Amino acid sequence: MMKKVAVVAGFLFLAASIGVVGAQTSRDYISIVGSSTVYPFATVVAEQFGKATKFKTPKIESTGSGGGFKLFCAGVGVEHPDITNASRAMKKTEFDTCQTNGVKEIVEVKIGYDGIVMANAKNAPEFNLTRKDIFLALAKQVPDPKGGETVVPNPYKTWKDVNSSLPNIKIEVLGPPPTSGTRDAFTELALEVGAEEFPWLKALNKSDNKKFKEIAHTVREDGAYVEAGENDNLIVQKLQTNTNALGVFGFSFLDQNTDKIKGAKIDGKVPTFENIASGAYPLSRPLFFYVKKAHVDVIPGIKDYLAEFSSEKAWGPDGYLAGKGMIPMPDDERKKYAAVVKNMTLLEMK
Amino acid sequence: MSSIHSTMTLASVTRPPTVDLVKSGLKRRYRAERRFRSYGMAAVIMSVLFLAFLFFSIVSKGYTAFQQTFIRLPIHFDPAEIDPTNPAAANYDGMIRQALLKRFPTVEGRNARRDLFALVSPGASFQLSAMARQDPSVIGRTVEVWLPANDDIDMLVKGQIDRDLPETERRLNNDQLEWVRSLQAENMIEKHFNRIFFTAGDSREPELAGIWGAAVGSFYTLLVTLVLSFPIGVAAAVYLQEFAPKNTWTDIIEVNINNLAAVPSIIFGLLGLAVFLNFFGLPRSTPLVGGLVLTLMTLPTIIIASRVALGAVPPSIREAALGVGASKTQVVLHHVLPLALPGVLTGAIIGMARALGETAPLLMIGMVAFIVDIPKGLTDPATALPVQIFLWADSPERGFVERTSAAIMVLLAFLIVMNATAIFLRRRFERRW
Amino acid sequence: MSPFTLFILLLGLSAAAYFVGRRKAFAVGRKIGGVNRMHSLPTYYGVLTALWCGIPALLIFSCWLMFESNVITSLVIAQLPEEIRSLPPNRLGLIINDITNLVHGNIVGGEVNRVIEQAAEHYRGLKAISHAALATVTLSLAILAVILVQSRISPRLRARNRVEQVFQMVLIACSCIAIVTTLSIVLSVLFEAIRFFRAVPISEFLFGLNWSPQLAIRADQVGSSGAFGAVPVFIGTLLISLIAMLVAVPIGLMAAIYLSEYAHKRVRDVAKPLLEILAGIPTVVYGFFAALMVAPLIRDTGGLLGLAVASESALAAGLVMGVMIIPFVSSLSDDVINAVPQALRDGAYALGATQSETIKQVVLPAALPGIVGSILLAVSRAIGETMIVVMAAGLAANMTFNPLQTVTTVTVQIVTLLIGDQEFDSPKTLAAFALGLLLFVVTLGLNIIALYVVRKYKEQYE
Repeated sequence: MMKKVAVVAGFLFLAASIGVVGAQTSRDYISIVGSSTVYPFATVVAEQFGKATKFKTPKIESTGSGGGFKLFCAGVGVEHPDITNASRAMKKTEFDTCQTNGVKEIVEVKIGYDGIVMANAKNAPEFNLTRKDIFLALAKQVPDPKGGETVVPNPYKTWKDVNSSLPNIKIEVLGPPPTSGTRDAFTELALEVGAEEFPWLKALNKSDNKKFKEIAHTVREDGAYVEAGENDNLIVQKLQTNTNALGVFGFSFLDQNTDKIKGAKIDGKVPTFENIASGAYPLSRPLFFYVKKAHVDVIPGIKDYLAEFSSEKAWGPDGYLAGKGMIPMPDDERKKYAAVVKNMTLLEMK
Repeated sequence: MSSIHSTMTLASVTRPPTVDLVKSGLKRRYRAERRFRSYGMAAVIMSVLFLAFLFFSIVSKGYTAFQQTFIRLPIHFDPAEIDPTNPAAANYDGMIRQALLKRFPTVEGRNARRDLFALVSPGASFQLSAMARQDPSVIGRTVEVWLPANDDIDMLVKGQIDRDLPETERRLNNDQLEWVRSLQAENMIEKHFNRIFFTAGDSREPELAGIWGAAVGSFYTLLVTLVLSFPIGVAAAVYLQEFAPKNTWTDIIEVNINNLAAVPSIIFGLLGLAVFLNFFGLPRSTPLVGGLVLTLMTLPTIIIASRVALGAVPPSIREAALGVGASKTQVVLHHVLPLALPGVLTGAIIGMARALGETAPLLMIGMVAFIVDIPKGLTDPATALPVQIFLWADSPERGFVERTSAAIMVLLAFLIVMNATAIFLRRRFERRW
Repeated sequence: MSPFTLFILLLGLSAAAYFVGRRKAFAVGRKIGGVNRMHSLPTYYGVLTALWCGIPALLIFSCWLMFESNVITSLVIAQLPEEIRSLPPNRLGLIINDITNLVHGNIVGGEVNRVIEQAAEHYRGLKAISHAALATVTLSLAILAVILVQSRISPRLRARNRVEQVFQMVLIACSCIAIVTTLSIVLSVLFEAIRFFRAVPISEFLFGLNWSPQLAIRADQVGSSGAFGAVPVFIGTLLISLIAMLVAVPIGLMAAIYLSEYAHKRVRDVAKPLLEILAGIPTVVYGFFAALMVAPLIRDTGGLLGLAVASESALAAGLVMGVMIIPFVSSLSDDVINAVPQALRDGAYALGATQSETIKQVVLPAALPGIVGSILLAVSRAIGETMIVVMAAGLAANMTFNPLQTVTTVTVQIVTLLIGDQEFDSPKTLAAFALGLLLFVVTLGLNIIALYVVRKYKEQYE
């Protein structure tokens, strides 16, 4: 009996030691996480980088901007990612988390612009939306339709209820979950601005910012807005089969699928490359990635990957990223961020 | 006596003889019989039809992926551009563009030229760079090279793009259609066997994407699974079946192992996430962790199959061996196990086939990242064949639809071979007691 | 020498030890008038020698290697300049990573400065010393063991018993792994689920009607309300499983009956393997098939009939899942029906029953416990199925029994909650574990009931 106990004990000890050994393995490839909007661009750069240099191709996971920041700010070390992609800027709270966990030196690089589109299937009715319509259709609480300065739970069921000029279709929007930067950008650029069309809400923003944010940012949960995960390609596919639904995602997905879906007009502007680049289309936001300076000289290839990403061949107006639907930055911004990459200028947030 | 007599007479008067009763019901019963039989046959035929429908739809979507469109262009390996000490770094994109412009000299304007250059795959330059690196004698010559076409052109040549749609709704404009037509007239654009599909790893461009990376990842994962689960599973089965005392503890263990075999595979993924990745800190997305998770999943199957095989060996064999003086271990090792081996092997092969097709647990441990390089070892990041199928199924490019179906065909081929081997083994070596 | 070569060498030595021991046994045997006068067969003496040679040496080998990298790393760190040594452990870890990459000949990040190079040289040197020492120790131990054991071989040495003891211990260890696995699955899922239930009360989870788990992930973000009432998700699972069983049970049962009672042997030989192929197809293929071909088909047909069919209807997922389960029901029922003795059937035929009447009134009732058991097992398979529903069912929790609408299931929610943001503190991630625990308990319950039903009502015919 004792012998058997000894054997079992020895075995478990052996098994536990494997864990000790396992934690010591080294990593010689770049680990990237983050936004699903930036994912198509980052993967193209990574593939080019891997083929053109002797470094291993970086491993890229699509976790959503928020999820990416969580993983990125968890600490410095081999088991944490080196770079995170984001479709919005890092927030102060995330910056603070990074600092607390030891990620003190962060380099922020803007890579280009992207539009947020609301698209539906090619053979579905056309939508001409204002941001006020979007707010009224998707917020959890809307101003009382009867008037006055109170909010009620959202009563609108069809787009026609919201605005009589819109088609008489049930409101069904497939959009990103809170981990997505697109969601944050959409809330800020569309819902907030739409809410401010109500003068009393605009005043509330100044007087009680927290309450205003609660009203403007909370999305309805009764099934009209469906959180469709980080996989924007899946949303495109679902739009084809469900002609009543609208999808919310980055412009690149519309650009790559013009034969299957079309974008809705927002405030009268069609989502096109030119409109977004010129700023005429209202829902446009910058794309970033963030690098841990501490990892740069230690994980092989980071400097070269950054150089590839910030080369004119990649992010320039004739570059291959523009071909994939990314709106390039104007010349002066490109120069600025190329210098940031070269000098590893650190991000500061007060 | 008389009352019985009278009842009998009464009965024989008011009721017809039993034979007639039976005869009149016969037709109805035979009809019911035929109906029932036809239901059974319909059920079997329906199942087979489902299978056929499944196979047919997948094959019809996927067989086109085994061919890839190539464009023949005369490429001038300009010695002025290529550095002989580092031939891989030259601007091969430029050389391809020059060749295209030479073929279609009338194309002017930045947009039109961009459309022209889009005929060839963006990865074609790497093919040229590899050529120059391997055979430096091409520098300075003009060589006819077959370059892979862009995935839209590939779809066009395979007839997947509707030429009759208005131009704005197509991914290819009229000029591009015209150029392809003229290339086809001169036999400069052809479909060849798609070797890239079998030798390349994942890619963002469908024409450069292949399943080799996923296949190698699956191989390493299954290797880990086999090396770990087969010995441990058979040993555990031998102990539980032959040596363990029969008490409540062993009963509980048996129930537990039977249940493990039916636990949804995603729970094993959760376990892998919680224990292997978080607690032990093993590297994410590697075949090592994938293999460990799949081992946990396959162990119960192998244990149950081995126990059944061991149990099927009749007690007379054991008693005979004991009778001539063998020890318990000798009985098991020399007599029972060899006789049960076909059943054990069949169970192992079926367990492996199940592990090959599993996706959900691998999703949980991170084998769902974009990985281009072919994994070279157990601790290189990798993906597996079913996970690759899952990832490609979400991609919007048309080229990926046919490649997903082709990858499914490859996976199914492997599985059918494995199952057929198992069935063959079972049939050949099974002994009837 | 490299560890791998050493490992092979040790194995080879053990093999050689086997032959040495065996030869010695024969030699000793000849002295006492025949090998059969010894306690065990010569093979056992050989195996005993091999075990003594190999096992201690290999144990030392693995322990040494396990701690080697840690020891060498600490020695190398001790030699690093002060400013590097005082870095926080994470930064130090990165430097070590660089050094190890350099040692292994991997590509290094950044410039290789003098300090790192020296450290790498140091590392290499230490490693070489360690390997040489390891080789010396293990090889000498192995050879010593062989010599010792070999000298102790005598007719009264009970080699077989020792060898069999070792064998049994190996078997027990392997069984322990299987048991530990079961326990660890239950424990890990339970542990995380308990953490979840501290944040969200069980009653809300089991009976709440509102499922919106996508919580805000930052303090200044506004997300969903974080309602974790799982009833809509359960209903979704039930609906899809119900549709699947409605497809699988009639077809599977009838196919089993036909194949075991009516079919010609040749038909059976062809049809059974085909059904097994249906069982072997990976579920991701079924999911792809359901999402791409079945769902649009159903939607278009519904449109033709004037019905409002959602694009990800429960019907599509349920149908394909049913097709996947047909082989389960069919093969399990087939075994049970075959086990009913021929005598029962013959008795019924003798009374003049047709084949279908025999089946309906004699065979099926006799086989009923087994069939019920197989149906329960199929239900538990349907409940636990993941890939088909991930690809073909929806993401919005919808509390409806209408098969033409979209529902979501427990397994889809587990996958959605865990892909991406995986912070193990938020109720959102832990909710996935709670769902997993629930799934485990339900399938366990179904399996136990199935086992119980079969055991209790099974007729003993002979």
